[in-house]
Amino acid sequence: MIEIRLHGRGGQGAVTASRILATAAYEEGQYSQAIPMYGTERRGAPLTAFVRIDNQRVRERMLVHEPDISIVLDPLIAKQQGVVESLKAGGIVLLNTAMAPEEVKLGGDFKVATVDATTIALEVLGRPITNTAILGAFVKVTGALKLESIEKAIKKYFPGRLGDMNIAAVRRSYEEVKGPIQAVVKSGVQEKMDLNVGGYGVLKDVSSWRVFTPEVDVDKCISCKACWIFCPETAIQWDEAKKKPYIEYNKCKGCGVCANECPVKAIEMVRVEV
Amino acid sequence: MVGNKAAATACKLARVQVASAFPITPQTTITQYLSEMHANAEWDFDFVNVEGELSSQVVVQGASRIGARTFTCTSGPGLLYMHHPMQTTGSGRLPVVMAVVHRSYKGMQPDHSDLMSQEWTGWGHWYVEHAQEVLDSILMAYKVAEDPRIRIPIAVGYDGYVLSYTAEPVEIPDQALVDEWLPPNKPIPEVLPDKVNKATFGRGFGGEADPQVPWKVHHDAILKIEEVHQEVMDSFEKTFGRRYGNAMIEPYMMDDVDVAIIAMGTIAGTCKAAVEKMQKEGKKVGLIKLRSYIPFPVKDFQEWSKKLDAIAVVDRSICPGKGGPVYQRLRETLYDMKKRPLTLQFHAGLGGKEVRVRDFELIGDKTLKAVKSKKVEEPVTWV
Amino acid sequence: MSERITRAQIPMEEMGITPGSACQGCGAALAARLAFKALGPNVIRHGVPCCPDTVTKTPQIGTVFEGGGALLTGTSRGLKAIGREDVLAVGFFGDGGTYDIGFQGLSAAAERNENILVITKDNEAYMNTGNQRSGATPKYATTSTNPVGPKSRGKEQPKKNIPFIFAAHYVPYVATASVAFPEDLIAKVNYAKTITGFRIIIIQSPCPVGWRFEPEKTIEIARAGVQAGIWPLFEIQNGHDFKLNYKPKELKPVTEYLKPQARFRHMTEAEIAEVQEDTTSKWQSLIQSDEMGKVLI
Ligand SMILES: Cc1ncc(C[n+]2csc(CCOP(=O)(O)OP(=O)(O)O)c2C)c(N)n1
Ligand code: SF4
Ligand code: SF4
Repeated sequence: MIEIRLHGRGGQGAVTASRILATAAYEEGQYSQAIPMYGTERRGAPLTAFVRIDNQRVRERMLVHEPDISIVLDPLIAKQQGVVESLKAGGIVLLNTAMAPEEVKLGGDFKVATVDATTIALEVLGRPITNTAILGAFVKVTGALKLESIEKAIKKYFPGRLGDMNIAAVRRSYEEVKGPIQAVVKSGVQEKMDLNVGGYGVLKDVSSWRVFTPEVDVDKCISCKACWIFCPETAIQWDEAKKKPYIEYNKCKGCGVCANECPVKAIEMVRVEV
Repeated sequence: MVGNKAAATACKLARVQVASAFPITPQTTITQYLSEMHANAEWDFDFVNVEGELSSQVVVQGASRIGARTFTCTSGPGLLYMHHPMQTTGSGRLPVVMAVVHRSYKGMQPDHSDLMSQEWTGWGHWYVEHAQEVLDSILMAYKVAEDPRIRIPIAVGYDGYVLSYTAEPVEIPDQALVDEWLPPNKPIPEVLPDKVNKATFGRGFGGEADPQVPWKVHHDAILKIEEVHQEVMDSFEKTFGRRYGNAMIEPYMMDDVDVAIIAMGTIAGTCKAAVEKMQKEGKKVGLIKLRSYIPFPVKDFQEWSKKLDAIAVVDRSICPGKGGPVYQRLRETLYDMKKRPLTLQFHAGLGGKEVRVRDFELIGDKTLKAVKSKKVEEPVTWV
Repeated sequence: MSERITRAQIPMEEMGITPGSACQGCGAALAARLAFKALGPNVIRHGVPCCPDTVTKTPQIGTVFEGGGALLTGTSRGLKAIGREDVLAVGFFGDGGTYDIGFQGLSAAAERNENILVITKDNEAYMNTGNQRSGATPKYATTSTNPVGPKSRGKEQPKKNIPFIFAAHYVPYVATASVAFPEDLIAKVNYAKTITGFRIIIIQSPCPVGWRFEPEKTIEIARAGVQAGIWPLFEIQNGHDFKLNYKPKELKPVTEYLKPQARFRHMTEAEIAEVQEDTTSKWQSLIQSDEMGKVLI
């Protein structure tokens, strides 16, 4: 049996990716199972999904606790040691990042492969939805499934032109993936981030939710307080002395409301390079 | 005084602060008595005339959360309509007291199907026999429910018509004595915004380390009612001079008998008359009146079972396709006993069917026959 | 009626404990932040199942989805019983909890004129369960239960006119508000705090996920809704006195509101014209009411 864990963020399609993998396995005459993490999914919030593939009916109905393969759809999450937690010895982690596998700081006894799925998605699909773009790389580095079956499965989920575009992304990631190589680092640094934000309540740090990050140009700012009053998360703080905003980045989900509402465009959303 | 007046009078004696109810036969007159008492300012309380039972349950839930002593009441369909918020009152560990004036699922006459169907909502379930016991039990229910060791809502069930609308003498305790015995409920300060806090109540927010823990805590608290209920019965007797068995059960003429009949509510009264008659005729049959169905008097029945040859369980309700709840619960209780008495199941009084002295005689005879032949020929009888 | 305030008069202190678990750009999270900012500390917040929005420092009590109105009633009566009428019982519910499953209890609480304040974050569908239609969903909007197909053009029926329905209970205060007009919103909450009896404020709160637009557009869309007359801002007192709070010389075309939202993407020119006509005619009666200073209920 092959057990896979996927890490992504709400809206990136990790759950769909898990279903495409399971469907592709079924196309090949295998048995499979795709389980979403329980809880309510919120757009932007980190989440996990799980897949099992076997040549007989999968009976265990529980989350995957020791995966053979970890797939990470998000470049920021890809920096968290948590994505390789409990990965089986000799397993593979496939990361969406522009880095080469040699540069990856995750540590342990496993193999690392990388692909810049965000760039592929932006260029092929026009949106940073990386769930299909990473699947070509998965085929190449694991050999667990055939490219044709992934493509067949994608057509089931995305008919028509959308399907063709997603297949183009899959093929490109198949070509561009780097690795796998044995992880260079022996043990990685554990940063405590919740990779499963389900349900309700107060969170500590939502930096991992952002694709784009707001930056304030205080010289352009006319002190109208628009960004401050419209930020849903109170990430924009108001400095009464300077009459200027500043951002508490641990609270910022990168929604872009502040930049959009600033009448003089003093806030810009920038893609933080990873 | 009729049973429903006894319930309303108990509210007054307990100085209930917020009551809310919606009329339904045979509970309706409690709603009217409370409205009258409110209009006449008989004591300082708030009565909320709501638009349905769901709201009456939620109103008392809210007021109870703030720390007010609360009361609601209903019957049959009204109780079913309350089912959802009853669960949140239970999970919220709110000391609400509710009178359930029994009304059958099938028809207007009483049986215990209404309250029995609420087993899972996390309340204490009591069943009482006569108007005096209605009044006394509601007072005791507050004392038990509000006990810091418990904080569980309690439903006091009594039969419609034959009790709710039947007039009989009731001794009304002295208000000053009640005030002393049942001091005001203590408000829970956490819900007041006096100190900034992050308290959230009554909403399943998840994030629980072990989601089974709240279930276990709730279960354990309900089991604890047994001990506190017995304490309260003792102190009630000391203050008011009346008691009902050991609170959980009330054995009646149980000295030197071979057979016990188990019955709940008004029919237990009729059974008392039947037992007197049978014993005069030399039949060794007594009654164990079951007062607390949840928690169930496990220890009591295990002890009694050692002394008995047979137990006849009269269930005034049935879970269709499953059977009589008291009978099943009793057999489960006896499973671990080395020597088990015979058990017989009798369905009686369903849909409000009258249960008469002669019916209990038949039950007694049938059970004695089983004792004699050491075998239960017919385990289930529809009386 | 509320008294206008400026941005400088908006209190700086936040009541929210952030970041919360709402989606990026969630209008409802902002509605909660603004409303509780204005309410300040002396309230007990009541909730029923809905999407997460902004957790607040206030104590919070919850109950069953259908129980909002009765729970507020219970709290308010309980506060009276323990002599703490200084504390305000505030409900913060979704449109499902207000227009639909919670309506019976709220209507009854309104009819009894309970001393409570209800705030509705109206995101025009059941978002917590994945965008199913509610009584607040506008005509033609697609939801997960109003997909477009050969037999469906999205939701068939118009949005329930809930502010007028509550006004028809002759309650002391009914108001609409929008997250794009924070001064107006806060002024209304401020006013609601000063009176007693049943008060309700319905805040239109765009949902990027359900309405299908990029999260940065939350305010832009809410503003367009008000400027196009789709979500007019007004107040009604005692079911009678009426005031329109935002009166542009000319309404913007409804397309400015509809076009950026993919939930309306399938609409034909004729359907858009129908919405335009309907919006304009409703707007005219509001203007008339405003001139008279009263509604005729
Ligand atoms: C009695 C009951 N029925 C259904 C549900 C499931 N449920 C939870 S939240 C919700 C929708 C909430 O919608 P709304 O009130 O509009 O708030 P929103 O999620 O949009 O914030 C539903 C249907 C429930 N919790 N309880
Ligand atoms: S991007 Fe969104 S969350 Fe971040 S500061 Fe701007 S408005 Fe606030
Ligand atoms: S689904 Fe909509 S209303 Fe719910 S949290 Fe997300 S943005 Fe807010």
